Amino acid sequence: MRQDYDVVIIGSGAAGGMAAHTLCKAGVKCLMLEAGPMADMQRHRTMKAVYELPYRGFGEPGRFPHITQASEFDANLWIDEKANPYSHPEGDPFYWVRMRMVGGKTLRWGRASWRLSNFEFKCKDHDGFGENWPVTLEELAPFYDRVEPLFRVSGRNEGWPQMPDGKITADESRDSTSIQRFKAAAAKLGVPTTKPRRAVGTLASSVNLLLPDALATGNLTIVPNAIVREIGVDASTGRVNAVHFVDRRNKREYTVPAKVLMLGASTLESTRLLLNSRSRLFPNGLANSSGVLGHYLFDQFYVKNTVVAIVPEARGGKGGRSLMGGAGYIPRFRNLKGKEKSFIRGYAYDFHSGGTPAPELLPAYGGELMKLIDELQGAAFAMTTMGEGLPRYENKVSIHPALKDAWGVPCLHIEQKYTQNEFDMAKDAMETGAAACEGAGFEVLAKHWEMVPPGESIHELGTCRMGADSKKSVLNGYNQTHDVKNLFVLDGSAFASGGVQNPTLTILALTVRASEYLIDQKKKGQL
Amino acid sequence: MKRRSVFQSLLGVSALAPAAAAQTPPTSNAPAADDVFKIDLTTPDAVADPRHRFFTPVQFATLEKLCDLLGPAYNGRPSARAAETPQFLDFLLAKSPADRQVLYAQGLDQLDIDSRARRGRGFAELTGAEASELLAPLKAKWTWKAPADPLARFLREAKNDVLRATQNSKPYADAAAAGSRRATGVNTYWDVID
Repeated sequence: MRQDYDVVIIGSGAAGGMAAHTLCKAGVKCLMLEAGPMADMQRHRTMKAVYELPYRGFGEPGRFPHITQASEFDANLWIDEKANPYSHPEGDPFYWVRMRMVGGKTLRWGRASWRLSNFEFKCKDHDGFGENWPVTLEELAPFYDRVEPLFRVSGRNEGWPQMPDGKITADESRDSTSIQRFKAAAAKLGVPTTKPRRAVGTLASSVNLLLPDALATGNLTIVPNAIVREIGVDASTGRVNAVHFVDRRNKREYTVPAKVLMLGASTLESTRLLLNSRSRLFPNGLANSSGVLGHYLFDQFYVKNTVVAIVPEARGGKGGRSLMGGAGYIPRFRNLKGKEKSFIRGYAYDFHSGGTPAPELLPAYGGELMKLIDELQGAAFAMTTMGEGLPRYENKVSIHPALKDAWGVPCLHIEQKYTQNEFDMAKDAMETGAAACEGAGFEVLAKHWEMVPPGESIHELGTCRMGADSKKSVLNGYNQTHDVKNLFVLDGSAFASGGVQNPTLTILALTVRASEYLIDQKKKGQL
Repeated sequence: MKRRSVFQSLLGVSALAPAAAAQTPPTSNAPAADDVFKIDLTTPDAVADPRHRFFTPVQFATLEKLCDLLGPAYNGRPSARAAETPQFLDFLLAKSPADRQVLYAQGLDQLDIDSRARRGRGFAELTGAEASELLAPLKAKWTWKAPADPLARFLREAKNDVLRATQNSKPYADAAAAGSRRATGVNTYWDVID
C-alpha cells in the first residue's frame, strides 16, 4: 500500500527545501520530486591538480555554451545542455544556468542574503513603473527573521530603508586600509558602503540546512531523478489532482496523485511546466487565465569587474594584510528620493580588495607581462555592478513548437533584452565606481559598462508573477495561483520586481509564509 | 625520448621481476584483500608525445614561436614550450567550436603572411624584436569588447590561452612545488553523478 501524501513538492532547492522544512515540521506528509540525482559529498568529490584534468582546466570545448560559471572541476554538477536544450532569438542570447540535483542551485549559490525593501514591494508607488507586490516588507519581515538565523546570515545592520536590517550575526571585522580609503571616498560622493551580508558555513544549502530536519520528522519522502513533464487537473473541479513524471535514468513514466502541489523547480522550469500543462480548462497553460504566465521575465544585470584598479602602495608585493584584503557592498543609492538620473531604479556593487589583475587587462606580453603580474600581485581592487532589470511584458518565455529535451518534454524559447534604462544605469555605475576608486587614490586600470547576457546572473525572475489583480498576475500574495487553489508556485517566478538584491533570501521567506498559509487553509478546510 | 625511457623502465622492471619474486618470503606483509591501495599514476603527457591533429606544419611552427614570445621561462617558472603548450593547444583547438578554430587558423596564417610581407621570412624565423611589430595589438589598452581586427582578436585570445595552458601544466606545478611556492591549481573535482 502506497503512502498517501498531503502535499507534492516539485524541486528540492531553496523553495522546495524550505517548503518541506516548514510543512513536515508541522506534521504535513510531503512527497518531493527532484529532477536530478543526489550528490554524495564523500564519494563524488576528490582533490585534483588542474594538470590531471583532460583539458588542463579549459573544460571540454563546446560543452557549456551558456554556463560560464562551469569549470572543468565542477562541470559534472551543471546541467547537460545537449540533453536539456532551449532556444533564444538569433543575436539575443539568454544564458540559462541550471543545476539539476538534490539541493538544486543552493549547492553553488553566492549566498548573498539581502532583504527586499519597500522600494521593491511598493515600486509602482515610488516611481510609477510596474506593479506593486501584494506583500509589504512589514508583512514579510517576520519570515525573514526566521530564515536568516537558519541560514546563519552574517553582515551589518545599517538602518537604511533600501537595505532593511535583518536578524543576522554582526560582522565586526576590521576593514583593511584600502577598504577604509575606498569607503571614505565613496562617502564623499554620497555612496553608502557596508559589509557583505551572506550565509556562512562550509555549506549553506538545502541539503544540509533544510532537508535533514524535514526528513527527521518522518514526514518527507524524496524521489530523485523524477522529471516532471505535466501537471494533471481534475476537469470537474479545476484543481490539480496528479503529477506525471519520467525517470531520468530509464525514461519510465509515472503518475502520482496530488492533493496540493507546491512548485519550486526554479523560475523558468516551473513556468515551463505550467505552460506544458495544457488542458481543456487551461488551453494556454495551467493557471494562466490572465495570459501573463511566461511574460515579464527580468533579471538583475551584471557588469563584471566594471572597475578594476590598482592600489599603488601595494605594488611590488607590499600589500600586506593591513593594507589589502576584505570586501564590501554598496546598496542601491540612486533614485531613492525621486527621479534624479536619466533612468529609474538603481544598482548595487560588490567590491573586494586583493588579488591580481587578469593578464588580459595588462597591455603587455611575454617577460614584460610576467614582470608586471609579479609586481601587481595582490594589489588589485575590483567592483562588480548588479543592476535592476525592469519587468516588461515583451520579455517572455514560450513553449518551442518543435524542440524537446532528451525525455520528450517540450522546451522553452526565451526572449529577453535589456533596454536603455539598464544601459544608462550601467554607464552611471561605471563612472561612479571609477570616481570612488580615484578618490581613494587608486589607479583605475580598466573600466567598462557592458553587461553579461541576460540570464547569466542566475537571477531570472517574474514569469509567474504575484499581484493583487488576477487579470494581471498568476499568483496571489501567498504564492497561490488565482485560478487553481491547490497550486502554489514558490520560486523566483513569483517576483513582481527584483531590485538589486540577490533573490534567494526572499524566496525562502515567501516560501515559509506560503507554507504556513497552506497549513492554515488546510485547518480551515479550504484545501 | 619519453617513449624510450618508458621502454627502458619497463625492460628494467621485467628483468628484475622474477628475481624479486623469488626472494619474497611466503609470510610477507602483503596487504589484506580489503585494504585500500594508494597507487601512484601519471598522465599521458608525462610519458608520450601527442600526435598533431589540427594545425598545419606552418601554423604549428608559427604557434610555437608565438608561445615562445608570449610565454618565456620566467623567474624559475617553465616556458610555454617546456609546458608543451603548443601541443596542448593543437589538441584543444581540434575539439573546439568552428568559430574558435577559424580564429586560430586564420590568425596564425595572418601572422605568417604579415611576417613574410614585412621581413621576408616566416613568423617562426623572426627574433623577438622583429616580431614585436606584429604583436603590437597586445600593447593596446584593454577594452571589454574584443577588437574588431581579427588578428588583434586572435592575439588577445592566444595570450590568455598560452598563459593559462602553461600555468595549468604539470611542469609549472612541479616548478612551483620545487620553488616552495604555494601549491597552485589543486581544487575539488566532482565526478559524474548518476
